[in-house]
This record gives sequence, C-alpha cells and structure tokens, in this order.
Amino acid sequence: MANDFDFMLIADVLPTLLQYLPVTLEILVFSILFGMVLGIVVAIPKLLHIPVLKQLVSIYISYIRGTPILVQLFLVFYGIPAVLQSIQIDVTRVNAIYFVIITYTFSNAAAFAEIFRAAILTVDRGQIEAAYSVGLSRKQAFIRIVLPQAIRVAFPNMTNTMISSLKDTSLAFSIGVMDMVGRGETLIASTTRALEIYIALSILYYVIVVLLEKLLKRNERYLNRYMQKELATS
Amino acid sequence: MTIDISFIFEAFQEICKVLPLTLFMTFTPVVLGILIGIVVAFVRIQNIKIFAPLLNFYVSFFRGTPIIMHIMLIYFGIPIVVDAIAQALKLSFDSNTIPILFFVILALTLSAGAYASEIIRAGILGVPKGQLEAAYAVGLTFSQAMRRFILPQAFSQSIPNFTNVFIGFLHATSLAFFVSIKELTGVATIVASVNLKFLEAFIAVGLIYWGVSAIIEWIAHRIEKRVTAYSKGGI
Repeated sequence: MANDFDFMLIADVLPTLLQYLPVTLEILVFSILFGMVLGIVVAIPKLLHIPVLKQLVSIYISYIRGTPILVQLFLVFYGIPAVLQSIQIDVTRVNAIYFVIITYTFSNAAAFAEIFRAAILTVDRGQIEAAYSVGLSRKQAFIRIVLPQAIRVAFPNMTNTMISSLKDTSLAFSIGVMDMVGRGETLIASTTRALEIYIALSILYYVIVVLLEKLLKRNERYLNRYMQKELATS
Repeated sequence: MTIDISFIFEAFQEICKVLPLTLFMTFTPVVLGILIGIVVAFVRIQNIKIFAPLLNFYVSFFRGTPIIMHIMLIYFGIPIVVDAIAQALKLSFDSNTIPILFFVILALTLSAGAYASEIIRAGILGVPKGQLEAAYAVGLTFSQAMRRFILPQAFSQSIPNFTNVFIGFLHATSLAFFVSIKELTGVATIVASVNLKFLEAFIAVGLIYWGVSAIIEWIAHRIEKRVTAYSKGGI
C-alpha cells in the first residue's frame, strides 16, 4: 500500500486545482464585502440601543456564533428555496454558489458586527467631545475622528475573520459547488487517490492563507503608521 | 412546501441521542490539545533548537489549513503509514480495524493543539516578567515558578480564548459527518433524507448546537468569575 503513494500526482493535480481558485476567491470576496455592509447594519441597533431591533440582532449574532457553519450552509441551502417556493418563486435551478455566498455573508456579518461595535466603543469619549468643541457635527465627528480610529482597532480582528472565512470556503463543496475542494472530490473519484489530492489541497490552502496574512499584515502596518512605534509593532 | 413544526420536535429528539458522542468528540481533543499546547508553547518560548522550528511549522500549518483537511489527511494518511509499518515488521495488523472515530479525534486533537499553543503562548507572555523574577527572588526554581505563578495567571487570562476554542471544536465535530460518523450533523442528514424533510432536520440540529454553545459559554463565564475573583483590585 505504501508503495502506491504517488508523489508525482500531487504536483500533477496542483495546476488543475489552482484553476478553481477564482471560485474560492469569488466566494470569499463577495461574502466579505456583503458581510461588512450587513455587519454595519447589524451593529447599529446595538450601538444606538434601539429597542426590539437590538434584541433581534443579539439573537441573530448568538445563533451564528452558536452553530457550525456547515449547519448554517444546509439551512440556507434548504431553507431559502422552501421560503421562496411559498411565494411561487422557483430557485431550484440556481447555482449553489449563491447559497454559499449568502451563508458566508450572514456568518461574516455577525462577526463583523461585533468587531465594529467593539472597535467603535474603544474610541475614547473625549475624542468626540473634542470634535464637537472644534465645531464638528455629530456626523462629521463620527466619520473623521471616530471611524478612522475604530478601523485601526478593528483591523486585526477583521483579518482573523477573513482568514477563517477563507478556510470555511472549503465546505462549499458539500452543497455541490465546484471550487478547489469540489474539483478535488471529482479528481478523487477519477484517480481513486484521496490522500494525494488532499495533500495538494492543503498545500494550496496553506499558501493562500499565508499570502493573505502577509497582505493583511502590511495593511495593518499602514493603518498604524501614525501610532507610536512600540504600539504600532505590537 | 410548508414547514412541519412537529417534525422539528421529532428530529430534535432523534438527533439529541448522539449528543454524548459529539460532546466526547469535543472534550477529548480540546483537553488533549491543551496538553499538547502547553508543551508546544514552552518549546517555542524557550526557542529550543530543532524542535522550535518544527513546532512553528506545525502550528502555522494547522492554523493555516481548514480543519476538514486535517480530518481527511489523517483519515486517508494514517492507514497508509500504519500498513507500511505493519508490512515492514511483518505484523498481521490491518488498518481497517482502527475505528474511524479514532482518526477524527486524532485530527481534531492535533488541530486543537495548534490553536491552544498560541493561546497559552500569548497567556504566558502576557504575565509580567517581574512575576518570574519575584518567584526567583524568593528562591523558587523555574518549574516551580511556572506551576505556581505563571501558568495559573496565564490560564485565568486565557479563559475567554479557551471558550472560543471549545465552541469552535464543538462546531468542528460537525465535519466528522464527511467521514460518515453519526454525530449530530451526521444523524441530522440521515433523519432528513429518510423523511425528506431537510429544512426541519437542520433547524433541529441548529437548535441543539446553539443550546450546547450557550451552556458552554455560561459555564465558562462562571469559571472565569471564580478564577478572576482574586485578581480584581490587586492591592
């Protein structure tokens, strides 16, 4: 059995699997962008203490944090068609990738909402008062003073969310999306060599995660460029 | 299609039966992972030659790849290694006799070890260096200082992070269904496809995970309150 292990196959399938990287990145980019927008919307009721909405948002965040992404994926995949069918819209032929993007958007939004909220709350109250004292309006104070500082605080946590979201894309194949893992599954079926294919997939994910981490780290340094050195490097 | 509320309840009861298995699959890896994490964190902090770079790679690889990959690599990889060793030693041992659950727990343990080591490392580095010096000053050895001063403080600081790891690995057990283990998600898919009621089954399993996560958070909160009781208002 050990002699059967085929090192060359790993190298052979890497280019094939890499062709499906755009699908993985498409899921990642859209779910992060939509997730950020939805995250801001979700964070507002808690920040402004809007009754009822605040409780609903808390339940939503708690549910997303309390359930595996795989279960969320299945719920969206089976739930949305069922809901839409009751109002006579048929989505059974829609590409599964949309369900994946919807699920990860919901999931990322919950994470981003908490990150944004925490980051905004870390900005010192005195900063806003200072902004008012020089004659800025509430909106101006928020956009020019609070937001830039909050983004700096939020960024490392956003990085973590993006990285784990990238790793979560590996589950998209479970509802039939042809991403890198989905293509890997078909290669396993045709070559009957599971270990080699999974090694190849792991290498790809590892390299992409490391690259994404490097990229985000550079951004973080840029956001911290006005901070004192010792704080900025931490 | 209408949602069959009573079936959610039925599925809920059916799926709940495998909750002990899921809890076992969560606790074993996390507890073993914390033990691995302590060792790994020490080797990396002390920068021990040869081992430190190896363990750096271990931590970075396991944190940089999806957990489903760890399960698949172990599930397909270990039998090949075991059979090769058995063949070389002329043992009549067949890897087919190893239960799949063992592979899943091994994969999750290695994964948890990588995450835990980073938490413990951050926890140890978070304790002020003066604490260690103070311990030396009263004549404690390094291992005594670690056990009595540094680690207890490091752990109490790390509780929120460990809670996240616990909940994260509770959720990670849902991946075991890909290697056909009948845990919560696995049973949910079975119940769903037997009755052709997918949505209801996944609503039920979602509620179970949510409830267990909430209980873990509640327990962690209680523990945190206890351990940090003495660290408030230091002087």
